[in-house]
Amino acid sequence: MAKAFGIITSSAEHKVEGMQNYRSIGAFSFLGRYRIIDFPISNMSNSNIDRIQVYISSNPRSIVSTIGTGRHYNINSKRGNIQLCFPNESMVSAIYNTNINAFIENLDKLKEQHEEYVVIAPSCMVFKQDFDAFLQDHAKSGADVSVLYHKVTDGKTDYNHMNVVQLDGNRVTGITPDLCDKDEENICMECYVMTKDQLLALIEQAQAISSIYSLADVINAKIGDLDVRAVEHTGFFAPITSLKAYYRANTALLDSEKADTLFDSKWPIYTRTTDSCPTQFFSGSEIKHSYISNGCLIKGTVQDSIIGRGVTIGKGAVVKNSVILAYTKIEDGAVIENQVVDKHSVITAGTKVVSDPDTIGYVRKRDIL
Amino acid sequence: MKQNELLAMILAGGRGSRLHDLTNKVAKPAVAYGGKYRIIDFPLSNCANSGIDVVGVLTQYESVLLGSYAAKGGLWGLDTKDSGVYVLPPREKADTGLDVYRGTADAITQNIDFIDNYDPEHLLVLSGDHIYKMDYDKMLEYHKEQGATATIAVMPVTLEEATRFGIMITDDENKIIDFEEKPAHPRSTLASMGIYIFDWKKLRALLIKDKDDPDSDHDFGNNIIPALLNGGEKLVAYKFEGYWKDVGTIDSLWEANMDLLDENNDLNLNDPKWRIYTEDAAALPAYIGPDATVDNAYITQGCSVCGLAKNSVIFTGAKIGEGAKVIDSVLMPGVTVEPGAVVTRALVADNVTISKDAVVGEADSKNILLVAQDV
Repeated sequence: MAKAFGIITSSAEHKVEGMQNYRSIGAFSFLGRYRIIDFPISNMSNSNIDRIQVYISSNPRSIVSTIGTGRHYNINSKRGNIQLCFPNESMVSAIYNTNINAFIENLDKLKEQHEEYVVIAPSCMVFKQDFDAFLQDHAKSGADVSVLYHKVTDGKTDYNHMNVVQLDGNRVTGITPDLCDKDEENICMECYVMTKDQLLALIEQAQAISSIYSLADVINAKIGDLDVRAVEHTGFFAPITSLKAYYRANTALLDSEKADTLFDSKWPIYTRTTDSCPTQFFSGSEIKHSYISNGCLIKGTVQDSIIGRGVTIGKGAVVKNSVILAYTKIEDGAVIENQVVDKHSVITAGTKVVSDPDTIGYVRKRDIL
Repeated sequence: MKQNELLAMILAGGRGSRLHDLTNKVAKPAVAYGGKYRIIDFPLSNCANSGIDVVGVLTQYESVLLGSYAAKGGLWGLDTKDSGVYVLPPREKADTGLDVYRGTADAITQNIDFIDNYDPEHLLVLSGDHIYKMDYDKMLEYHKEQGATATIAVMPVTLEEATRFGIMITDDENKIIDFEEKPAHPRSTLASMGIYIFDWKKLRALLIKDKDDPDSDHDFGNNIIPALLNGGEKLVAYKFEGYWKDVGTIDSLWEANMDLLDENNDLNLNDPKWRIYTEDAAALPAYIGPDATVDNAYITQGCSVCGLAKNSVIFTGAKIGEGAKVIDSVLMPGVTVEPGAVVTRALVADNVTISKDAVVGEADSKNILLVAQDV
């Protein structure tokens, strides 16, 4: 059996309007009680990968408190660990904020790992994947690198700043930026498996070509010399690369068939508990087609929405098609439609915050409207 | 708090036989409550929040599940270097044979060696099956202020309720002058909550004396407290005001759950300063379906409601199918109410399935129906 350690990359190349001012994408709240990074870490933990390096590029506070000791991810606390890897010096420019540069800054920590293989996954994408199957298939295949991709049919709308893989059968012939010009695309999930030595070689080769190369760039540059295999991922897949993508990923899971492809009692997604009590739904509340986290007090109407922990929704208030983050107060009679409302904000009594479904609105953290 | 100041021992050995089938396979402290908790989460969280580091949990009846649960000290934050939850079932010792705990006091007596390891000044003795929030540190302060040998937490009850409790008769300065167990004609309405702080050295000596007394039941209420009183020791009552419930019956367990539906209930589980900790379920937030109706309900993560949930408490992972109705009821963890089924005034035990279109319970029943098997 091949053994691997895990790397979660920081996804610093993606920008989500508003929310990212407060935390990195991995630390975004998801579906009321999770964080985005819970998905890659749980996937690794469930795949018996219990030594994981998490690369952090900016706003570390939130991601550090999300991960904590890592105990809640069911990581063996003696044999396993979660290591947080920070940049050593501040980047003079965001263009240097690549995963390769992050690896270089933590090269000693990378070399120290004693597993033969490494599984790499991004912190900004929501999906379920058995990385052990991915690893064992790779080890058997004889390929130098294996990469996960997901077939999409809405390639023109989302997936900005992502890469696509060019395929010849299951051989990868290129990894290049998505031009968003075709509906059908093979989106590169930035999940790789290779030996540790292969990764170290790629880091060295990247440095020799360009100081701003990412891992995808160097694999693409060396594609002629390498045997790179593609593995298709099926089931729910949501890269969080824009506010709209974030909103869609949350609300898409209200469809229970989709949710069933992501959540499986045999494949738990772990998260840090806040020990909040159950939610109280009062007489006169009207709740349809929504996820409601614990610790809420709900007196108003909620439809087609995701409600985070400890949210208060007053009498006569209406929340439709929205994602409400933790500890928000929506006072009596307020109306929220097509919004992402960030943590600890207050929508005062009677206020209407309504956006068009095509342009999801955003209410900043701790704002009072 | 330093271990050698106050150590806690939780009496968790009772079956709670009036809970009938609910405690066939688990001890009462492990019974589920309030959507996501087990009853023993309350004394354990209170200990943790009061700054107590070392907690012994005395188990006896059906102790496997309770023991393995309580041993996870980290759930309550009791897993730092100097803290821990120690599960203490009866054990064989070098100088005596294997013996069950003969009474509440005997459970402590048989663990004198454990307590001596920490050499505490005071010993806190608690019940593992009461629902309340209490700062034991404040009670300890009072105990020390009073210079008492034993301090007993009491709360005012009605005269009628007083016949079901151990009743403390006190003077104007809260000094206990007499004690009556379940009196037919109560002389006071101060009920013992089963929460004691003892001067450990004095209690230890008394327990050793009690151990070989053939006439003793080896019980705190029946033997130890009267012996302290007769010996002229200073016993004081510590008055507690707030929510406290001994859920001895199906009706009272149902009622204690229903109390949570009152927005201003005294228990207030939504208090960030005094959290009740429990094992977290890897579960989605509660899902409320497109045709669901939720009317006055207390619902936790992992639930799915596609029918009606009215005046009810729905525990972790419980599911209400389309067109199903759950009214004035408690659904314990993992209960499934299939489409079209109707559940009224019932307490449905863990993992029970109410099959499609089945009807259980009646709106005007005198008692709450316990449903402990699939219907």
